[in-house]
Amino acid sequence: MYNARLIETLSLVMIMTSVAAVESRNLKRAATAYCLQALLICGLILAFAVGNPTLYVWAAVALVTKGVITPWLLLHYIARTGEEEARSIIGFGPSVLLASALLIASYTVTHHYVHFLAPTAEAAQGVFRTNLAVSMTVFALGLYGILSRRDAIKTVIGLCLLENAVHLSLVSLAPQMRETALIGIATEVVITVAMLLLVVAGIREQIGTTDTYELSELHW
Amino acid sequence: MHDVQSILPVLLCVIPAAMAVITYPLARAARPLGPALNLIGSAAVTALAVPLVLGAVDGMVFVSLDRELRVDALSALLVAAIAGISLAAALYAAPYMKLESLLARVSRSAQDEEGTTRRRLATFYALSQAFLATMLWAVTTNNIIMLYVSVEASTIASGLLVAFYWDRRSLEAAYKYLLLLTVGIAFALFGCVLLYASAVPHIPTDAGLRGMLISDLPAAAAQIPRGLALAILAFFIVGFGTKAGIAPFHPWLPDAHAEAPSPVSALLSGVMIKMAIYAMARTLGIFFPAAAYHPIALFVVVLSAFTMLLGGVMCMAQDDLKRLLAYSSVSQMGYIAMGIGLIWIGFGTTAGYLGGYGGLFHLINHALAKAALFLAVGAIIYSTGGARRASELRGLARRMPVTAVCFFVAALAIAGMPPFNGFWSKLTLYLAAAQAHLWWAFGIAIATSLLTLVALVRAGYLVFWSDAEVAEADSDVRDAPVAMLVPMGLLAALCVGIGVYPQALYPLLDPAARALAGIF
Repeated sequence: MYNARLIETLSLVMIMTSVAAVESRNLKRAATAYCLQALLICGLILAFAVGNPTLYVWAAVALVTKGVITPWLLLHYIARTGEEEARSIIGFGPSVLLASALLIASYTVTHHYVHFLAPTAEAAQGVFRTNLAVSMTVFALGLYGILSRRDAIKTVIGLCLLENAVHLSLVSLAPQMRETALIGIATEVVITVAMLLLVVAGIREQIGTTDTYELSELHW
Repeated sequence: MHDVQSILPVLLCVIPAAMAVITYPLARAARPLGPALNLIGSAAVTALAVPLVLGAVDGMVFVSLDRELRVDALSALLVAAIAGISLAAALYAAPYMKLESLLARVSRSAQDEEGTTRRRLATFYALSQAFLATMLWAVTTNNIIMLYVSVEASTIASGLLVAFYWDRRSLEAAYKYLLLLTVGIAFALFGCVLLYASAVPHIPTDAGLRGMLISDLPAAAAQIPRGLALAILAFFIVGFGTKAGIAPFHPWLPDAHAEAPSPVSALLSGVMIKMAIYAMARTLGIFFPAAAYHPIALFVVVLSAFTMLLGGVMCMAQDDLKRLLAYSSVSQMGYIAMGIGLIWIGFGTTAGYLGGYGGLFHLINHALAKAALFLAVGAIIYSTGGARRASELRGLARRMPVTAVCFFVAALAIAGMPPFNGFWSKLTLYLAAAQAHLWWAFGIAIATSLLTLVALVRAGYLVFWSDAEVAEADSDVRDAPVAMLVPMGLLAALCVGIGVYPQALYPLLDPAARALAGIF
């Protein structure tokens, strides 16, 4: 029933957009990669909607919150705080290698040990299994972005990736969940991102940079 | 226990939410309306909490909206704590948020000073009510997905309260607060979704049970495969543990609790982290008493022993009074979490019951005492024009006698000294650890209490008593206004009252602890 080839292709491209969003040193390009990823997620959810019509609503929710509002917020604040990312902890070359290693490792591990995460037998098979492994890979890349970047905006992009992964994983994990719950989850993510960006813009105003290493007033 | 259809839980969440909506425009139009509406909203929920608590004592369970909201003894306990502390904070905020030196921080760089201050204050009061609404929603919701939504909503509502002053320190704190809590709570979302999805196929729907309701999930929990269940439990501990300030997920806590305005600190330390530990206890409770999850309960106790010790040690190193109190909160959350873990280690036995009783008792006692302490430090900030480092304050006892008494009462209560309330809850927890034969946990708990005692009494001594003569000569410091002293004094009085008559809370704590510990 499901077009496995289509789902696999979209998934592969989507993982590539995650790497691009994490690794691009230009924040505008990273935000664009993020936007592209959100659109691919819509496509993926639509591919799954063949077997579950409620997912059309999910795809619409993802399109509005992740494909339109979040990228708009990101680009709006990037225009205010500057396009160039503050220096990363890890250099470009090593970081790409590290991200690739993480990508392969997390995909292999989650694909192999899928029964630890799959709540139903169906979720551990076929396209649902692929989807779950892909989601966890994007989650890991988002977490890597949050942990390894000094730039506050870049960290927020990492958080966005992580939330995209959560949204996508729900297709395998809880396809029977009601739309209201999903809208609640997606709306909160957008509000959180908006607040974080507001605070980051405030930081930029106060200390002249979005480099989180300069946030050193409070340690102990 | 019997279910009672009631509108009260709905009103409890809707009233402060509605207040939040109307406060912003009204407070911008007229500044005095902000504190007034904040007070009205908090007083209304406190009034609503009374029948809920009395009903819960009689064994009633209030349900509304087709059981989407559900208030049993455990929820009623949290509702009472949240409503009471928010009322104290609202009363206190009215004079505190008028303080010129604080407001100068807000509008320091703005062109239109009056307009900026007014807008910021309107936001403050509106968000205070929104924060209250989300916390009450979190402790009354019976929907596993909405539990995540409400807990995350409370982060959103309080994020800008932490950033209120909009300067370097508060923005840094707010950034860490929003980022760490959102990442942490994403793990809890995985836990909630996995639990829901894996329970749905096993839920006996013909008996009218639904897979999304927390109260119905135990019926299906036993059928969830062990590996998956362990993953779910781990997600809950990391997710809600981050929000509850359990080490090593606590680094946001000292920053946020110290940099927020004092009435907000009282809410964050007093009740918000308690709401998170409630969410953890509720969700973990779905899987117990199955013996297969015994190691998870032990893991919770290990984590909480680490938390209390780390918090206690960090407490010793602080000069900033608010950071000191914040680290003490980390440490005390360890005690509460230890009680929760002990419930399931000694499930169905006295140890489990004592763990639950002591944990919940300490939850209430810490809420009262820590809120009183943050309000007391707020009074020092108010009276001295912003000083909050122990090293720059001297001999304030004569100048601020009421604050000094409240500070010491609450400090001794948190350290677990008789005749204050904290003594009884900590004693119960020590007994629970001993009954469960966890002597290392018993030892760490007692040692940490001593650390807390030393840290708090030392800070209190420096601030209130040392060099009294020098301070006397060149000081025009006066105690805070009555509207600030009353809530602080009431909280301290409750610490003494419960300490002298600890049975007072028994009728509510007993059913709440029984519900968790499986003794009926």
